[in-house]
Amino acid sequence: MRRKHVLSLLMLCMGVALLVAATTVGVASSATQKTNSAKALRGGTLKVDQSAGAFDTLDPGLAYVTNDWEVLYSTGLNLVNFPNKAGKAGTQLFPEAASAFPTISKNGKTVTFHLRSGLKFNDGTPVTAANYQRAWERILSPHMYAQYGTFDQLNKMVVGAQTFTDGKAAHISGISAKGLTLTFHLVKPNPTFTSILGMQWFNAVKTNMPYTKSSGGITKYASAGPYYIASNQLGRTTVLKRNPHFPLGKFPIQANPNQIVISSFPNSDGEAALLQIEKNQLDFDLAGVPSQDVSTVAKKYGGPNKGQFHVGTQACIIWEAFNNAKAPTDNANVRKALNYAIGRTPIIQQLGPYAGSSSDQILVPGLPGYKKFTAYGNFPNFAKAKSVGGAALSNAAPINIYYNAASHFRTNEAEFEQSQIQHIGMKANLVPSDPNDYYGPLETKGTTYNIAHSGWCADYFDPFDFINVNFDGRSIAATGNVDYFYFNNSAFNAQMDKAASLSGAARSNAYAKLDQTLMTKYAPAFPLYIPTFRYLTSQRVKNVIYNNYFGYPILNAMSVG
Amino acid sequence: MLYFLIRRFFWAIFLFFCATVITYIIFFVIPSDPASIACGTHCTPQQIVHIRHSLHLDLPIYQQYWLFLWNIIRHQSLGYSYVNGVSVRWIIGQDAPVTASLVFGGAVFWLAISIPIGILSALRPRSILDRFGMIFVLIGISAPAVWIGLILAYVIGFKLGWTPIAGYCNLIPGSGVAGSCSGPAQWAYHMILPWLTFMFLFAALYVRLIRATVMETMSEDYVRTARAKGAPGQRVLVQHVLRNSMLPVVTILGMDIGLALGGAVFTETVFQLRGLGSELILSANRDDLPVVVGVVVFACIAVIVFNFIVDVAYAWLDPRIRLD
Amino acid sequence: MALLEVDDLVTRFRTDDGIVKAVSGVTFSLDRGKTLGVVGESGSGKSVTFLTVMGLNDPRHTETTGSVRFDGNEILGLSTSQMRGIRGRRIGMIFQDPMTSLNPVKTIGWQLQEAVLLHNDVTKEEARKRAIDILKEVEIPRADTRVDDYPHQFSGGMRQRVMIAMALINNPEVLIADEPTTALDVTTQAQILRLMTKLQKEHEMAIVMITHDLGVVAELADDVLVMYGGRIVEKSEVHDLFEKPEMPYTWGLLGSLPRLNTTAERLEQIPGQPPSLLRPPRGCAFNPRCPYVFDRCREELPDLRAGAVGEGHTFRCHLADEDRARIWDAKKAALEAAEGSAA
Repeated sequence: MRRKHVLSLLMLCMGVALLVAATTVGVASSATQKTNSAKALRGGTLKVDQSAGAFDTLDPGLAYVTNDWEVLYSTGLNLVNFPNKAGKAGTQLFPEAASAFPTISKNGKTVTFHLRSGLKFNDGTPVTAANYQRAWERILSPHMYAQYGTFDQLNKMVVGAQTFTDGKAAHISGISAKGLTLTFHLVKPNPTFTSILGMQWFNAVKTNMPYTKSSGGITKYASAGPYYIASNQLGRTTVLKRNPHFPLGKFPIQANPNQIVISSFPNSDGEAALLQIEKNQLDFDLAGVPSQDVSTVAKKYGGPNKGQFHVGTQACIIWEAFNNAKAPTDNANVRKALNYAIGRTPIIQQLGPYAGSSSDQILVPGLPGYKKFTAYGNFPNFAKAKSVGGAALSNAAPINIYYNAASHFRTNEAEFEQSQIQHIGMKANLVPSDPNDYYGPLETKGTTYNIAHSGWCADYFDPFDFINVNFDGRSIAATGNVDYFYFNNSAFNAQMDKAASLSGAARSNAYAKLDQTLMTKYAPAFPLYIPTFRYLTSQRVKNVIYNNYFGYPILNAMSVG
Repeated sequence: MLYFLIRRFFWAIFLFFCATVITYIIFFVIPSDPASIACGTHCTPQQIVHIRHSLHLDLPIYQQYWLFLWNIIRHQSLGYSYVNGVSVRWIIGQDAPVTASLVFGGAVFWLAISIPIGILSALRPRSILDRFGMIFVLIGISAPAVWIGLILAYVIGFKLGWTPIAGYCNLIPGSGVAGSCSGPAQWAYHMILPWLTFMFLFAALYVRLIRATVMETMSEDYVRTARAKGAPGQRVLVQHVLRNSMLPVVTILGMDIGLALGGAVFTETVFQLRGLGSELILSANRDDLPVVVGVVVFACIAVIVFNFIVDVAYAWLDPRIRLD
Repeated sequence: MALLEVDDLVTRFRTDDGIVKAVSGVTFSLDRGKTLGVVGESGSGKSVTFLTVMGLNDPRHTETTGSVRFDGNEILGLSTSQMRGIRGRRIGMIFQDPMTSLNPVKTIGWQLQEAVLLHNDVTKEEARKRAIDILKEVEIPRADTRVDDYPHQFSGGMRQRVMIAMALINNPEVLIADEPTTALDVTTQAQILRLMTKLQKEHEMAIVMITHDLGVVAELADDVLVMYGGRIVEKSEVHDLFEKPEMPYTWGLLGSLPRLNTTAERLEQIPGQPPSLLRPPRGCAFNPRCPYVFDRCREELPDLRAGAVGEGHTFRCHLADEDRARIWDAKKAALEAAEGSAA
């Protein structure tokens, strides 16, 4: 998935390692016992703020922004889900509503889930397989405001889904729900299918949850997760209350606050929220600590993760994309020269302390196959850049630096890059974007940018998600490109195919090599840093569990009791 | 009087049309595409078409405007937000009380300050009080509301902890979302700093205005007549000077309130009050036309209503004025 | 003892440009039931003198010295509360512009009642009754309904009647009228003057008639003060003034009166401007404009002295008696000649 703004990509395979674990291990054992200490964590009202934005919808059939999904994670009951754990453990799915990971037919085209019995929505209605069938229908129906399921090609995945999406059928023929048994008939075998079901689109929803053309979706509905939406004024205040029917203790999912109140004030710069957290008038801001305040806040609270101030690493890599199809960045030597000339550390520094660790790799720690190496270094090296660039640098076409002028960080970055580029004898133009549509022009084939700030976050923990998804040039289309590097190298494509077919240690080693080759031989991008989420919690918040996958602390685990 | 009302009514309708048509035109002239904004990145062209249809954006501008009018007449509805589908009428209904709290409360404050200072300054020109009053005026007119608000929020709200830093509580106890504060005490407590911020500029302007009108009135002939009749100073002030000198104040007060109800953006933003001003900015940034038009309509109505009130009040206060 | 005795009254105003000496030593007295005319140009100090008598100047900017005795009691320098019972009760004052002298947002009934209730312990109904009665006395038609009207609903002449009513409602012993008819047309002026005469008889009031119009003075006054540059320059019983004016300024005033029975094509003027009271000329204040000026006039201020008639007619001029007599006789002959040929 792309960096924090939008979740839009497929959640593919968790990785062969996980699937192996899934078929052999079975139900993940619950880590939380209903001990006295666990009970003591419960109670109180958690007060959360959103400075930078607001929920545009909390309808699972229409939500696809990280903030929305953060809430749905607290209210949803999925077939498979992420546990409330920190670190690596928090990134590994466990069977939640499903009693076990699914059985898959020999030909790989039939996936069957058996649901646990006794699970209920907050209004007491029992959870059955039909609730997941309904979720699929709501993500693809033409009667909905949008059909976001088509973004990840869900309509091409299941038999009958395309017909349904086109409005020619009342139900998806390839999904059958009988009692507690749910069966999917896939168009072709798809090892990543189970992982998809961990997306928040697939929260269980009541079978009578209607379709809607309203952009905000259904604002209040029954849910089966640890919390349910008690009241929801979209864009203003949302209140979640604990679901009395959620089986606490059965799953590695906590439900500590009695209620969670999330309020938004979208115009804010985060300063007021920060002051309120310091005064304990607020518990947490989903936008984190504003960059310019991190230094003072960190000092005041004794440094990262020693008290109220926390820093969590996100499973993302921030990079500057190069347009490999436009001069002069169509030349590998130029791209390598830029990797030497533009400094990583200076760019990170403007974001304040603990903003992230610099990297010149595509893969990030936590992924199988990640092996740290240094290709170009953190600081500008003009001599090296000029020698690597060589003749390609002289009389080169001017470089178009595309940036979001509404952000002063992006503007500073663009201006810095411009001056660094000029230092090695090339020309650079600053090209501001439409503040309301940054990605559109990038994703259109034939686009004229050369450098653009972007990034990538893990949809799932396999190197395929970082390398194949972004750099396979065969996926390039007219619009909507994920590979907006427009990098298409047949030799590298073959190598990627080979690595994707491997498993276990061989897979890891192959991808480690690919990571190095990609950056040292082709340098299709300029990786910058692995970002962090820096946030402050109020004095009374205990039990802060940071989830590396979402890049947030888990709301339902925060204790204010 | 009837003729006056009829004329006013038609004038109001005309203004309403002007303001809304202009807003619609602006939205179609500026390069904005709410559908692609709502759809976000990675949006396929088919989805943009689908969303555009859901939002009626594929209709020509005049048809969209007609839909808007029809909605008002037939359903008393102002449409729905492009961003999150919430009813615009509901949004205005939530925001208007916040802005009204700020504006009316602020008005009470600024009048409570400016009337005594203005009168005393007029009665004792060039005294110490008058000079301090003029310094206060100078600061109030020069200092931006944002600056004042931030200083108050930081010093009084954060450092001293005497008031909340930001946020709004509903006036009616128990109303609003569960878990949020409500009730008159909490409402006033949260509004203290916003009121102080909002009223600063107006208090300054009104001190100047009242000082000037009182001084002018005191030199009127009928004040001399009253003294010649033997009326003591206090009586002259209250019965003869005040009522006459307040006439221009009433006019300007009505206009100021009418305009301010369109949204006191700076104060609302600093203190995170979800009022019409901050709503307007937010919606304009997101190209959320229905909400922008909704706020414009409300502001239009507020200005019209308050101008009407001012005219009637003036006619009631000054028997020389006849409404027609 | 005279009802009102003013002795060497001096009034100075502190202004941004300096001290303005508006009244420089004015002495006169007013007897019960008599009418005193006070004549002069704008800036002569005629209005300020009586504003000072009433204590209506702004105390922050005004300095006064001298003595003002009303019915034997010193009233100069008293505060408003100390003036209770005098101002608006025993001495009434009306002003020049009836259009602006009434509070526009209160009914005239309210304003009249205020005048009553300020000085009498009566009920509102009684005050209202008195208001209606006085309105009838000043010949306002339909007084019982018009009492509830606002000032803007009355014509200029009516408003002046209301002003007079307001000044008279408490039966004062003195009515000071500061140019009451200047802003009115001639017909209305005649009516008002007639009314004032009638009321004076009925109420046995003394009247001070401040005016620049000698015609009004001729009709109403018993005695006349001519003021110039903040001083009295001639004081006389009215017939004497018109018969035998004793100094050049008064000659100029009389000469500039418009007459119907004359062949003269142009009005006689007194050339020049009234003196600045901020920096008054040395010596006689009239010296820059006087056609008969000589050196002494520029050096020395003439004292008020008596003329041929005696102490009842005093004037301020350095010219010798024979000279003045000669000049006036010549003027008088010329005037009569012009009148005669016109007749």
